Amino acid sequence: MIAITAESVTPLTDAEITTATPAVRMRGLSKRYDERWVLRDITLDVPTGSYLALLGANGAGKSTLLHTLAMLSPATRGELSLFGESAARPSPALRARLGMIGHQPMLYRDLSAIENLVFFGKLYDVSRPKQRAMDMLERVGLADRALSVVKTFSRGMVQRLSIARALMHAPELLLADEPFSGLDVPSVQAVSALLAELHADGKTVILTNHDVRQSLELAQRVVVLGRGRVVSDRRAQDANADEVTREVIG
Amino acid sequence: MTRVLREIMLVSAKDLRIEARSRQTLGLVAVLGVLIVVVLGLGLGPQQVKSGMAATAVLWVAYLFGGVLCFEKTMAVERHDGALAGLMLAPIDRGVIYAGKLISNLALMLALALIVTPVAVVMFGFDLSAAPLGFVAIMAGGFVGFAAIGTLFAAAVSSTQSQGGLLAVVVFPVSLPLVIVSTQMMMRLFGEGEPLGAVGLTVLIAFDAVYLVVSWLVFELILEP
Repeated sequence: MIAITAESVTPLTDAEITTATPAVRMRGLSKRYDERWVLRDITLDVPTGSYLALLGANGAGKSTLLHTLAMLSPATRGELSLFGESAARPSPALRARLGMIGHQPMLYRDLSAIENLVFFGKLYDVSRPKQRAMDMLERVGLADRALSVVKTFSRGMVQRLSIARALMHAPELLLADEPFSGLDVPSVQAVSALLAELHADGKTVILTNHDVRQSLELAQRVVVLGRGRVVSDRRAQDANADEVTREVIG
Repeated sequence: MTRVLREIMLVSAKDLRIEARSRQTLGLVAVLGVLIVVVLGLGLGPQQVKSGMAATAVLWVAYLFGGVLCFEKTMAVERHDGALAGLMLAPIDRGVIYAGKLISNLALMLALALIVTPVAVVMFGFDLSAAPLGFVAIMAGGFVGFAAIGTLFAAAVSSTQSQGGLLAVVVFPVSLPLVIVSTQMMMRLFGEGEPLGAVGLTVLIAFDAVYLVVSWLVFELILEP
């Protein structure tokens, strides 16, 4: 299991965050699937080094927004830039600054844990990928299963390996789509601590989550989406959990 | 360039490692290919069986159906657990994914040919020694073009809801010109005993080049996680 705890980290101060270049800049971002608008006119800045939680009911557009931020599918309208670079034609260097934990693990079930990590490490040109892979497996508590094929893993183990894959290249921006989904309590704590550690290292973290209270504890800022629009955008420390929950329910 | 080649080989080696471990695709296409050759051989009867023409035609049928299965299976690996999204997130050109998949498919088709062709030689009494290099050249040209199209359409079809059988419906008509050229060349080579002409090979290579370039360019547009 991951050794660090959420209490051991010291996130960037608000002053440090606001002076940095935005990691993500969205202007009128909209996304349409067939005739249905899934994202509508989203304008947000996510400062570098901040920790943002995206909340919303099912179908609110959280996952679509993360996919768009990950440049996996282009926005139908609006502008998106990451670290000051337009996402319309992203360079490989820009892609290398991103990591993503998705609904699906993005792993090869017939490869072993270490083979998966080394493969992705090489794609990202990580130096000494085997060593890095072993370090990551150690951090997510899977070092003893390094040689086991992924299809023999439990849901929680797959999720932890997926997190290791996303962090193999030490991304500056981590997009985590419901990273706690399907995890038991110790794994939730371990993943929370890992995300907090990343944030403390100055990385930008954007996660989607269904648990309002947990999001308020973890993140600095909470944005509620409803039917593809931004319903509210607040500092987590100023937010009232019941009020946010009402906004999420709509 | 070296970096791109390294990335292509990474993707391809990963596919072949998965195949070596699971043996799902090759096992399936080998059985299908052998069945096609045997069943058609028996169905055509002893008169036709002794014709080299029948052998090449039947081999093409086996290669085409086996090839389509290879394309489907290698792309299905990427669809499991959203692995394709992991590849698309990586700082590599989409064309690298295409080229890696193409090489994997060609390797699998080559393995299929190595299994099925000897069966046809025995079953049909097909005299490959008449023009072995010509046979290899025509098949190689045909395989490259067919795999170029198949790899592209497998990616397109795999992102749709209606996958079963759709790939064959799409790939066969598009690859028909290539198949016609290849079979015409085979007929001249083995049926009429004519040497392999430069014109025929040039046409085949031109088809391959067009299919490869168009597929490489279009692949990025049709790829969805």
